[in-house]
Amino acid sequence: MPDPPIVSDEGGNGSSSSSSAGGGGVGVGGGGVVVVGLCGGGVGGVEAGGGGASMGSSVIEDSGGGIGGLTQSPRHHHSHHHSHHHHSRDGHHQGKSAVKYGELIILGYNGHLPPSDRGRRRSKFMLFRRQNFNGVKEDRRYTVRQPQNTQAILNNQQHSISYTMSRNQAVIVEYKPDPETDMFQIGRSSEPPIDFVVMDTVPGEKHGEAKVSQSTISRFACRIIAHRTTREARIYAAGFDSSRNIFLGEKATKWQNCDEMDGLTTNGILIMHPIANPMDERGEGEVGLWREVSVGGGVYVLRESRSSAQRGMKVEDEDNRLQDGTLIDLCGATLLWRSAEGLVKSPTKRHLEQMLDELNAGRPQCPVGLNTLVIPRKETLTASEKQPLAYLNCGHVQGLHQWGHEKDSNVRTCPMCLMVGPVVKLCMGIEPAFYVDIGPPTFCFNPCGHMATEKTVKYWASVPIPHGTNGFQAACPFCATALEGHPGYSRLIFQDNCD
Amino acid sequence: MASGLPKRIIKETQRLMAEPVPGISAKPDESNARYFHVVVAGPESSPFEGGVFKLELFLPEEYPMSAPKVRFMTKIYHPNIDKLGRICLDILKDKWSPALQIRTVLLSIQALLSAPNPDDPLANDVAELWKVNEPEAIRIAREWTRTYAMGN
Repeated sequence: MPDPPIVSDEGGNGSSSSSSAGGGGVGVGGGGVVVVGLCGGGVGGVEAGGGGASMGSSVIEDSGGGIGGLTQSPRHHHSHHHSHHHHSRDGHHQGKSAVKYGELIILGYNGHLPPSDRGRRRSKFMLFRRQNFNGVKEDRRYTVRQPQNTQAILNNQQHSISYTMSRNQAVIVEYKPDPETDMFQIGRSSEPPIDFVVMDTVPGEKHGEAKVSQSTISRFACRIIAHRTTREARIYAAGFDSSRNIFLGEKATKWQNCDEMDGLTTNGILIMHPIANPMDERGEGEVGLWREVSVGGGVYVLRESRSSAQRGMKVEDEDNRLQDGTLIDLCGATLLWRSAEGLVKSPTKRHLEQMLDELNAGRPQCPVGLNTLVIPRKETLTASEKQPLAYLNCGHVQGLHQWGHEKDSNVRTCPMCLMVGPVVKLCMGIEPAFYVDIGPPTFCFNPCGHMATEKTVKYWASVPIPHGTNGFQAACPFCATALEGHPGYSRLIFQDNCD
Repeated sequence: MASGLPKRIIKETQRLMAEPVPGISAKPDESNARYFHVVVAGPESSPFEGGVFKLELFLPEEYPMSAPKVRFMTKIYHPNIDKLGRICLDILKDKWSPALQIRTVLLSIQALLSAPNPDDPLANDVAELWKVNEPEAIRIAREWTRTYAMGN
């Protein structure tokens, strides 16, 4: 060993094997994505060869908490044949009996991620218990002079975290396989260890590939460790790279004391647990506080600014366990965690389609054209005379007409009540995971016009979401557009059931 | 003629025929679907009770972006209706909105007969008398109703 440990604070040289971190060792090397079963309406789950360690196996189920098969969207017929996809024998055996931990849904996508919702890049990622465990846990810790030459770092099978303390001192924390847990990694990188590839979210309508020139999301942003028996999922900042290492450089915020070595990533991973579970009947409007989660899974008060060198105070009575409704901010994209239990109570896409069908069955009509309006399930670019518009200040729903239109502005006078305000095309919020209850979609967000239930709209209008590197703002979960006006949503008034 | 008729006008006409407003009849002219022959019954407990008032209603080219043109054909003694039958009603002018319809316009006219508004007059002499000597004004209105709005 060219660089022997100079400090060993955890029982000297442990005996952990460094041969393989995960169960499958050799397995499906680079990102074996397994796609099995029914893929419903653009919300199928996908799993990669997590951490490169396991025989990544998983299933796709329909979205909604185990209820009913969804109609298959035609666009998926051709989407599962991407080069790195293959159907695995493992997955076929799992079927619907697979144990689900939960789902991660990126805020800002209404059910699918254009232009192609596939592979490890989707609007939603489902976490299932893996065929073979690939979790890791802390094993031992020691200090070295040259981390680059340390066995744990050189060994591509050994998970380790290197905390660079100074030019000639680094603390190495070695991790060993943990048969009780599965690991799922999230980040911007498309390298195999990343199970769920997340790019920066561009607010607004998404009709094609809009790219952010400079991403603020880390390539290996965070990891989730799920317990294979209790299904408890915990989140940690930073993910292991292709060499199964995490490096915290000299400038990274980090600290060492008697029983811990920990640190923060550059832009940090923020989490917000809901105070009340949003599925609870009394849970409306109550939200928690944003916290930062460390590499070691500790919970801290936010830094002064997103990437300050000084960490916040430790919050002792909170932890990194994901709860139904926990939000995870990667700095550039925000994810919603829905637990398997929470999803059972959640509406399915089919429920939402039924609600929309009922609304359309009332034949809402434009009070000016007297023509029947049809609320679409998807955003459309084409202008249809059936497309309903909402007058956002009063909530009156009408078809397109020119009356009361101020030139060169989106401001119009409502023919029903003469109130002046902006007008927007209505579109159903069809991603079920964002709903906090089941009911008719009689509210819409201002200014984007995405419709949802009253409770859902009021809930999201009360949730501050990190915006850029500092600042928070409430946003529509279906398109990530910042809400405008007060209260940021409208109660819709339809002229329906009139003939 | 009817071929160029907007859907909205067709729908409004159909509904007016199928579900007429009580006390009001409105029928499109046989040769011009934008021209309506309207008959409004004088509202109960108004000086116009018992009278049958003929009006003409015309939907201009821009309708419903602009208001219908409505005029009393039957002579009426009313502070908001002049001797040419023109009506002073805000929704027919600056308060017009395309969310209003023929039906709502006729209902408003019916309401105007029930509640004359001499503070916003069109026929100044009538309005003046209505303010100074309301019983006399009402008496004349009844007389005019008998003379011009009954019998035919």
